[in-house]
Amino acid sequence: MSTGSADTEGLGGSPAWRERLFTTLQRRGAIVVLILVVAVSAVVFDNFLTEQNLENIVLQGAFLGLIVVGMTFVIISGGIDLSVGSMVGLGGILAALTVQVSWPLALILPPLVCGLIGFGNGLLIARAKMAPFIVTLAGLLGIRGLALALANEKPIGIGGSSPFDWFGQGQILGISVPVFFVIIAFAVGGLVLARTSYGRIIFAIGGSEESARLMGLPVDRTKVIAYTTSGALAGFAGALLAARLSAGDPNAGLAWELDAISAVVVGGTLLTGGAGTMSGSLAGVLLLSILQNLINQLGTLGSYAQQVVSGFFLIIVVVVQAYLSRKER
Amino acid sequence: MAKSIKVHIVLLAALVVLAACSPPGAKTEGQGSGGGGKKAQQDIAQATGDVCKVKPPDLKLQDAVVGFSQSEKEVNPFRIAETESIRSEAKKRNIEKLVYTNANSQASKQISDIRDMIAQDVDAIIVAPLLEEGMDPALNAANEAGIPVFLIDRETAGKPCEDYITFMGSNFYKQGKQAADLLADFTNENAQVAVLEGTPGASVTIDRTEGFEQQLEEYPDMEIVASQTGEFLRTKGQTVMEQLIQSNPDIDAVYAENDEMALGAIQALKDAGKDPGQDVKVVSIDGTEQAVQAIITGDINAVIETNPRFGPLAFDTIEDYLAGKPIPQKIIVQDDIYTKKNAQEKLDETY
Repeated sequence: MSTGSADTEGLGGSPAWRERLFTTLQRRGAIVVLILVVAVSAVVFDNFLTEQNLENIVLQGAFLGLIVVGMTFVIISGGIDLSVGSMVGLGGILAALTVQVSWPLALILPPLVCGLIGFGNGLLIARAKMAPFIVTLAGLLGIRGLALALANEKPIGIGGSSPFDWFGQGQILGISVPVFFVIIAFAVGGLVLARTSYGRIIFAIGGSEESARLMGLPVDRTKVIAYTTSGALAGFAGALLAARLSAGDPNAGLAWELDAISAVVVGGTLLTGGAGTMSGSLAGVLLLSILQNLINQLGTLGSYAQQVVSGFFLIIVVVVQAYLSRKER
Repeated sequence: MAKSIKVHIVLLAALVVLAACSPPGAKTEGQGSGGGGKKAQQDIAQATGDVCKVKPPDLKLQDAVVGFSQSEKEVNPFRIAETESIRSEAKKRNIEKLVYTNANSQASKQISDIRDMIAQDVDAIIVAPLLEEGMDPALNAANEAGIPVFLIDRETAGKPCEDYITFMGSNFYKQGKQAADLLADFTNENAQVAVLEGTPGASVTIDRTEGFEQQLEEYPDMEIVASQTGEFLRTKGQTVMEQLIQSNPDIDAVYAENDEMALGAIQALKDAGKDPGQDVKVVSIDGTEQAVQAIITGDINAVIETNPRFGPLAFDTIEDYLAGKPIPQKIIVQDDIYTKKNAQEKLDETY
């Protein structure tokens, strides 16, 4: 998958190419790190640059990627959405429960329901002025409980190969279907963020909500849309994951909200809001995915050593990324 | 100020994520004797199913790269012993390489772990499946690549010989039945029973619960007054037991679906002024060293073993497969029962 497909900001118009390159490096710290990591991995591991392995990396990141698109909007607006992991679980269960009735419904209902929950989150945050952290933390707990209750605490198998399975296991032009969707999501998300007035308002709110209000920008509506989108994408990711597993797993997406947040942050988006890019978030997702793949390529680390390595890797990426971007701030 | 705190929280969270990936991570079963370092080999109780005969590749075990996809982090004695057994046996048999992965309790990660192994072109994959459902894409991919899959400890949807070669593990349903019989024996078939269930949705929980409930129907004076999940965790077992003993002070028998929960429950019972083992009979499943020790001290009445030491059996089976020998579709291991009578002498078989 090309990281260029989701560029969000034009390059600064510096005259000298060197300065221009330097600006690019600053702005695109995550992408630079990504290229470095890929280059090193390709040298170290024989099996890294094979078609199958690259496909694994991208497919593995696809479901998280959908969530990350929504999370990028939310975080740039100065908020946070902790409910997305649980929505993946709920989305999968809703899909598994409805697929026997009608497979298109199994694709539509999860984003619809999760979008509605996201809408509720957005209203509480924007209108009732409640802290996003608490509102969505309540969502994290409640929605997971709902998924477990609906599923009777067990994974629900989706027998047979209805057209639904294709959305998780099929291919379009040699590209896995979930990857196809995530490319679209990043492309559209990147365009909306960088090229529309909605995107500019999101940045304005994240920069200073008060100023945005004083300017008469539709702050509440913009925030509600961001949380609704985040919920809908998470629900859709859940449905696709159920199609992939041929089962709805009420524990699917457990702790993914944290993965999504780290992907966004690794991608250079400020946690305090007001700055960030969709291409950075994409690079963040791919970096997390590659990290996992490298650990598996190595194949010798125990699970605790894996955690230590993951922690180190993440902190190094964040430091390098921050160093590259420092001048811009 | 507020912003910087938030940044800290999230960075911390981000680290935890990558590192941890599964918060309340201890879904497991228990089992108990076999390969690691101590004694206790797994013995086969029963090998059933039409014999599976597949044409193997022309390969010796020493030259094979074998993948091991573990389902959960090694946070409890069962998983620790299981991974250790596979690792040490791989070393002992001097195989080319063991590729180890851990799904951190996420079905989607287990699938990509297995696919990563396929991309590395391993020669055989040992899988400890996380869930009964949801493994199809991994099994299909392995099938397409012609890589044999051997399941250990939990079964998963699919056909032996077609989707995977064979399943090796305990009969969890039978363990539940045995637990019911043991409790009936200790309580003279008259008891108010509390059940501490395992992780919701795991096949091991389902089977151990069903086996217990069905067998209990044989004893009309035994009644389940409470049944709640302790998620296979000691701390959770303790808090759940604390609540149960408060709302049902008459509970005089506890069935814990693993040792960790039983050990937590014992603590809760003691705190409530009960004498576990005497006032309240306790039966659990696994055979961890601490639980069997608790039999000796009189806190637990009986433990049904679940043997996690799959290394020798798994590699024997792979060797048979590579040699072109027929493989049974289901290999059930023999599980011991520990009581006061044999706990002391069998203590060194525990894990």
